Amino acid sequence: MSALSESSGARWAADRRRRRRARRLEEQEELVPLRLFGLGRGTAALITLACAVFAVFTLIPIVWVLFNSTKGQTSLLSSFGFWFAGPFKFFDNFSSLFQNVDGDGVYFQWFVNTLLYAVVGGVGATILSTLAGYGFARFAFRGSRGLFVFVLSALLVPVTAISYPLFLVYAHVGLINSAWGMILPSMVAPVGVYLMKTFIEAAVPQELIDAARVDGAGEFRIFRRLALPLMAPAFMTVLLINVVAVWNNYFLPFIIFSENSRFPLTVGMGVWASRAQASGDTRIFPLIVIGGLVTMVPLILLFWLIQKKWSGGLLVGGLAN
Amino acid sequence: MATLSLQHFSKTYANGVRALRDFNLEVRDGEFLVLVGPSGCGKTTALRMVAGLEEITDGTLRIGDRVVNDVSPLERDVAMVFQNYALYPHLSVSENIGFSLEMRGVSKRDREEKVREAAAMLGLDQVLKRKPRHLSGGQRQRVAMGRAIVRRPAVFLMDEPLSNLDAKLRVQMRAEVMRVQRRLGVATLYVTHDQTEAMTMGDRVAVMRDGVMQQVARPQELYDHPANIFVASFMGSPAMNLYETTITGRGDGLEMRLGSQTVTLPAELLKRLPDLPSYRDRPLVVGIRPEHLMLPGDESAPQPAAGASLDADVELVEALGNELFVHFTLDVPRVGEQERALSADDIAAGDAPVDAGVARVQPRAPVEAGQRTRFALDVPWLQFFDPDSGTAIGDGRPVRQMGGPESELRPEPPPMLAV
Repeated sequence: MSALSESSGARWAADRRRRRRARRLEEQEELVPLRLFGLGRGTAALITLACAVFAVFTLIPIVWVLFNSTKGQTSLLSSFGFWFAGPFKFFDNFSSLFQNVDGDGVYFQWFVNTLLYAVVGGVGATILSTLAGYGFARFAFRGSRGLFVFVLSALLVPVTAISYPLFLVYAHVGLINSAWGMILPSMVAPVGVYLMKTFIEAAVPQELIDAARVDGAGEFRIFRRLALPLMAPAFMTVLLINVVAVWNNYFLPFIIFSENSRFPLTVGMGVWASRAQASGDTRIFPLIVIGGLVTMVPLILLFWLIQKKWSGGLLVGGLAN
Repeated sequence: MATLSLQHFSKTYANGVRALRDFNLEVRDGEFLVLVGPSGCGKTTALRMVAGLEEITDGTLRIGDRVVNDVSPLERDVAMVFQNYALYPHLSVSENIGFSLEMRGVSKRDREEKVREAAAMLGLDQVLKRKPRHLSGGQRQRVAMGRAIVRRPAVFLMDEPLSNLDAKLRVQMRAEVMRVQRRLGVATLYVTHDQTEAMTMGDRVAVMRDGVMQQVARPQELYDHPANIFVASFMGSPAMNLYETTITGRGDGLEMRLGSQTVTLPAELLKRLPDLPSYRDRPLVVGIRPEHLMLPGDESAPQPAAGASLDADVELVEALGNELFVHFTLDVPRVGEQERALSADDIAAGDAPVDAGVARVQPRAPVEAGQRTRFALDVPWLQFFDPDSGTAIGDGRPVRQMGGPESELRPEPPPMLAV
């Protein structure tokens, strides 16, 4: 009796080992066969190491912010930066961030501003990039090449160089301290146009558009029913790039806004930081730390949401080859 | 259902390239017309002009009684099957097939019924809910067909629809496409570079080259009476053997010099080609189909008569099981190598010597590489061409460039195509 159960137990264990091994082999199948591609083991290890170092380097400030957002003003300045130190002040910090600590009471206002600029500017930029990219990729019109080169050349001009003329123009048309002053330039995204054009050329084949035309679809319907779904991965990518760019933009809002209530988070946090340094007002330091953390969270959420949409190979099956 | 007519078509691109020149073609109601030619000859351009995807630089396009030069694809009432299928990857099979109906505002109920009907005709009933990426190559091809047939258009346009299938499936789909076309009786313009497809599928075949129509005829007529050297060498695989030759008189008969050998031209041939004697003592091109060079079944069979045979050095024997391709050389320059190289089937001939002629003989014929072999020549089937113009030397019948009403419409469908 016991021998029987023992053997069945052994069989069960062997079975499980076999299944595990099969799964491991299956996983290996999915990996890139380095040896086949002539990449040496050492080279692969070196590249992996370099990537790891870069990842750590990128994560260090975030980790620092995470640790220090739990500290009060005394322990923040006196304790080791990469570990916890009592007392635990995370929730206190968080609630005072949204209170009128500094007399201006503006963190929440800055947060809403940033959200507004990033959503309207980023979405607008993405829609315009998509339309422009589709036009450049799939319609041959007079001067299209020249126009595209012109769009790309906009990449070469640093924002700093045009800030003064931009400021003068804004002063003339009354866009200083206006939300539109921030949103309109954010909608211009040459990188987005370039990315969309390149992607559309690969993902929305001319033959598909031709087929739809013969099927009797109008140009707008082709765009909405066929091109747009196929562009979804690129659309999401460009959306992310644009939203992040607006969210993190410091220079443009810095020159066009002088009213505290118009600032986005970047400029607002900068104002806090310089005030803290100038006046030695240590009460503000914990708020800067937790403010930085709260600023990051929406972008991390956005990444997490959008990466699900990055399913490539959407086109597979539509065309032969 | 209607007749499709292209009159004096020409296409010049913005960069000055002329893709089509004075191109005329008529596809009659219910007819399956195959437009064949080497790649880059303008056949796809012609098709796209009919579909409304390219502007017509010059000429008139009629579908039925309507001139549709400047009519949108939607209102032309044509359906097209594309080379790469061009299925909408994010739509299901039934949505793909029903797309054109949706664009025309057909109600969902009617749409579903028509999609089901089309799917049933193509054996797609089981996969209607699937996305194209979950289909096999053959199924994708069927969906592309389904998309074309679902709305019963006036004209079908097909742009090399079978070129992405493997050889076996291609043969199967060939029959299927023909079956569907026959059943619907819709005028069909079918573009291919594959002369086998052209021969097997077309009620009539139009051969074109460099944007110019060469000949329109029923497949057998095209094969037996090619209008010029290009058609002769393009149609048929292995291709026709073309050699430089001269004809000299001997008494009241004629004989043909082929290098160091002479072939007697019988009265039967001269009756078929009454213009031939006037080419006496002038350079000519002679065309010999591979099957018109024959070998006896075994060694005991009588040797072919002198004057109706050719001695050749055999370079290579390719055994296909049911027949042999015998590659041989003669002491005469070959003609039309350039045109031959354009035909995809010939490239597939692979390691065969480039300057060799080919004979197609029965599988157990006594022949070996390296031997000098005597082939019997089926002299009455020889074709002759003017070396300067390339045109066939008259067989007393008008050469039909246009495929006008004089050539008969539909030949009996070959019985083996019943599926």
